[in-house]
Amino acid sequence: MSTDDTAQDGDTHVDIADGIDHQVAMVMDLNKCIGCQTCTVACKTLWTEGGGRDYMYWNNVETKPGEGYPKGWEDSGGGWKSDDHSERQPGEIPAKERYGGDWEFNHSEIMYDGSDEPLRPQNVDPEWGPNWDEDQGAGEYPNSYYFYLPRICNHCTHPSCVEACPRKALYKREEDGIVLVDQERCRGYRYCVEGCPYKKVYYNAAKKKSEKCIFCYPRIEGEGPDDTVHATACAEECPPQLRLVGYLDDEDGPIYKLVEEYEVALPLHPEFETVPNVYYIPPYAPPGHSEDGESIEGVDRIPRDYLEELFGDRVNQALDTIERHRDRVERGEDSELMELLQDKNPAQQYRLEVFDDG
Amino acid sequence: MGERSEPSSSSSDRRSDGVRLMRERREPRRDSDASWLGVAALVVLAVVGAAVLPTLTSARPANEVPVGDVGTNATDPAAESWTAVPSVELALSSAPSGLPGASNVSVQHAQVRAATNDSHVFVRVTWPDETADRNASDLREFADAVAVQLPENESARPPIAMGGTSNRVNVWYWTGTGTTEELLAGGAGTTTAFNQSAVDAEAVHEDGEWHVAFTREAAMAGNRTDLSGEQDVDVSVAVWNGSYGERAGRKAVSEWQYLAMGPGPQGPPYETVLWTVAGLAVLFVAVVTIEGVRRTRGEPS
Repeated sequence: MSTDDTAQDGDTHVDIADGIDHQVAMVMDLNKCIGCQTCTVACKTLWTEGGGRDYMYWNNVETKPGEGYPKGWEDSGGGWKSDDHSERQPGEIPAKERYGGDWEFNHSEIMYDGSDEPLRPQNVDPEWGPNWDEDQGAGEYPNSYYFYLPRICNHCTHPSCVEACPRKALYKREEDGIVLVDQERCRGYRYCVEGCPYKKVYYNAAKKKSEKCIFCYPRIEGEGPDDTVHATACAEECPPQLRLVGYLDDEDGPIYKLVEEYEVALPLHPEFETVPNVYYIPPYAPPGHSEDGESIEGVDRIPRDYLEELFGDRVNQALDTIERHRDRVERGEDSELMELLQDKNPAQQYRLEVFDDG
Repeated sequence: MGERSEPSSSSSDRRSDGVRLMRERREPRRDSDASWLGVAALVVLAVVGAAVLPTLTSARPANEVPVGDVGTNATDPAAESWTAVPSVELALSSAPSGLPGASNVSVQHAQVRAATNDSHVFVRVTWPDETADRNASDLREFADAVAVQLPENESARPPIAMGGTSNRVNVWYWTGTGTTEELLAGGAGTTTAFNQSAVDAEAVHEDGEWHVAFTREAAMAGNRTDLSGEQDVDVSVAVWNGSYGERAGRKAVSEWQYLAMGPGPQGPPYETVLWTVAGLAVLFVAVVTIEGVRRTRGEPS
């Protein structure tokens, strides 16, 4: 990473954490998510298979409205009491049942042994698991609704997990603001687990230490087997390519434009006051339908108050901006915003080498 | 004793009265000779008492943890040899760590026994805990634990909360999962495990109580507290009730005590001074009183 960066020189308009050179960021366009869980599997295959990590999904995709993963995480406490970040909100460690178990399935019997039994977890009778309420959503026919919400660690500007740790085992990496757990310092006290309002720090009972999403830092550093810089696995493996990965303070990149200029990419649950660096383009749903299937103009299929619950009041302005630009394109005019939201140029989608030396 | 038998008393009644008075005064004079003997005895008593009395009295100096001599091995907290070692009950209170729920701890008292067999030092901590929490294998599960804190440098008392940067502490740490660690800390949040632990611990849980006995070689150097008996050594303890959510800075802790393992009189130096001062004060008052009485009677001194 460069040390003569613009963020430190104060030339940027972006607020990043004190003492951080640059801040990694991600924008996820919820309008593109098909709930296929390819990101989830990519992450799990790479980072959380076995070794006490079976129940962990550093990346998960949950149905909204829904209980999420872990069940009821939005009401589990954590975060800050206000935006002055002086006092933390108490939080709880979710029970294991709220995450779901690491069950064994009868895959081999069905796939290789010709069994005609249904695919089921073996020797357990689970009552909850990740995506238990998948596609359930809310609303009444013909206006039932749901959308998918992929979630990773937000690598917050004011991470309450970092503040919660009595040993400073969690820290924000100086070069890019990635929040990491120092496995040497961690003693498994789990104050970070209860302190994170997004419940994106996980306790590994086999290792007696806490673990979390590392923003695939070996990939973005180009430290993988092919010595090439890669975006996070969840982003690169995504079939609809809904994620942009880069730096918030890269003012020429699409993330900066979507977050800071157009203000259409919003943090999830801003009221937790941790200031996330993962942003979402809110779902732009068609209008509500009448009983006979006609669109009712001015009635949102996804109630605005629900979206406000997730993304705060700014969601209204964001959706209005998107609508304005859609109309503009419909009229045959240009819209940089629409270009950004549709851009498939990987150089723009993943801008990870902009601050590299040389 | 009649007047006739008194040759010099015939002149007057007044005189004989006087003689009688003189005689009466002579009796106490013989007593006063005896009292000088008493003074001498008191001096001896005061000096001897200053040295002996503190050890005779059952009251231990505040904060002392006596160090018994077990002669043999006391690694087993249930060993018979422990019964001969005096026990000290320590009051525990929450550590002001600022962690969530830090002020809410469940254990109020712990009993500490310390012993040595010349080569090793044994510290046994006993505290009430109805549930033996031996696992941390569920997300919300914490193991019981106990720690014995000692100064890295025996002659300086470190800050009670995990020591300070220039005044570190050794921590002997046992948890219900069965692990024993030897830690070095220089302030809250700085605990670091020694590469190779020199401390062993054995534990039993019975009748709603944990008994954990730590064992370490007495004489050690470097970052480790020397417990070879050169001097008294500060000590404090902490316990954690896992099923009450206690871990890290959420713990019940004692104030600093000291292991009375140094040579010379048991107890802190000021105690001997105080006893000597008290003895000499009694002596001084006695001498002044006697002398005062004598002068009042006009006797030559």
